[in-house]
Amino acid sequence: MIRYSLLTLLLLLTAFVVQQFLPAFTGIHHSRILLVQLVFLCCAVTVGQRTMLLLAFIGGFFWDAQCALGPQGGDLEISAQQVESLRFGYSILLFGAMGFLMQGIQPLFKQGKWQFSALLSGIAVLLYLAAEYAIINFVRGDFVLSRATVFQMVFTALLTMLFSPLIFWLLFRLAKACDHSINPEAGRRRRRAT
Amino acid sequence: MKPLNLIVLLLFLGGAVWALTRSDRSVREIQNAYYQAMAPFLKSGSQLETHARAFVGEVRHSKELETELEATREQLGRLRLFESRFRALEHENVQLRHALDFKKTTHFDVVAAQVIRRNPATWWQTVDIDAGSKRGIASQLTVLSNNGLVGMIDRIDSSGERASVLLLTDEKCQVSARVEGSPEVGILSGQRGGFEGDPMLRLRFLSPEAALRPGQRVFTTGRGGTFQANILLGTIDTVEKGALDSEALVRPSVNFADLGAVFVVLSADS
Repeated sequence: MIRYSLLTLLLLLTAFVVQQFLPAFTGIHHSRILLVQLVFLCCAVTVGQRTMLLLAFIGGFFWDAQCALGPQGGDLEISAQQVESLRFGYSILLFGAMGFLMQGIQPLFKQGKWQFSALLSGIAVLLYLAAEYAIINFVRGDFVLSRATVFQMVFTALLTMLFSPLIFWLLFRLAKACDHSINPEAGRRRRRAT
Repeated sequence: MKPLNLIVLLLFLGGAVWALTRSDRSVREIQNAYYQAMAPFLKSGSQLETHARAFVGEVRHSKELETELEATREQLGRLRLFESRFRALEHENVQLRHALDFKKTTHFDVVAAQVIRRNPATWWQTVDIDAGSKRGIASQLTVLSNNGLVGMIDRIDSSGERASVLLLTDEKCQVSARVEGSPEVGILSGQRGGFEGDPMLRLRFLSPEAALRPGQRVFTTGRGGTFQANILLGTIDTVEKGALDSEALVRPSVNFADLGAVFVVLSADS
């Protein structure tokens, strides 16, 4: 169990590296594959709450370290009108919330129905992006939602979701290598059938 | 909920609050440590992106390149004419300055750099360039392309070989701007995910009776201390009049989807 948890952590860190190599699809409304979020969501459904929270903290922390922008310079004439920006660390809470959402269908996953988790990972990515966009608008104090933005969020979620079976396959392999079962009820059912 | 789970949840929330209350300086230190650890991967990632871009460039249809060559030749001829005219004017200018005993004070020092990578985030608009502190680049410096303002330097890589540029299309990059041929002055910035298709810029805090028309050019004023004056930002697209102020949508002069070579202004007269 501990070995598997450590491997999920390593997998999440590897996702940060691989994410650097994934460009945006300019032809599909600048959507992109959010591998870090996907790996976290898939891991979240296979681990306990404590490990999920650890992964959420590390995932959100590093994601913000990657994206946060510096304070704007210049004199007060411009700075007085400075746009409020998102605080460093908000992603930790978003990752946590998405992790709890994924854990909600953990009973189904344990029965071997990983397809529901794959589908939910896409929905969770969409919710993640929508929440992030809503926070940006809230901080800005002006809500604007264009069709292009909706398409960008939907296609990003769809593209990301397409890769979830691959991540689940990887997680099953890792669990097997650690001699740990991530869907014990399905295993028991299989044994009973044989 | 199990007591241990509750403790972990409280620790998680405590950690999140700790992260949310970090100062800008601490965040920059965290970012530097993160990018230092990622440096080898970022380097190979940007190389891959550069190769991919070069490959895409190579496979462009030869006919298209032929047409482009013809157009370039035509443009070269035109520019040669302009250059000869410019030389004559420069010569005349030198003579006049000399005659007036006008001390030349103009100073404009730039570093050329290539865009090597785009930040893999959904909303934030930054790119990485292959020049850093080793070539004199520092935070908050102006970044230009041959078409106008690109943005400003946001973060310098600790290796001294790379820097991150905050693009004009991000709402955190705010510029004091003026509209050519009018007394209107406002603040220009992008908007994350706010526009259909092409990125547009918002020119805010214009007077309620702003008499602007589409196509008018927008330039920097030089106020604010970050950007030099008279850098082209874009052209007016539409104007929305409000009760207290007006707002204009500005089409940027730079094609942000196809950024290649950029110039970082190390020092210049404002």
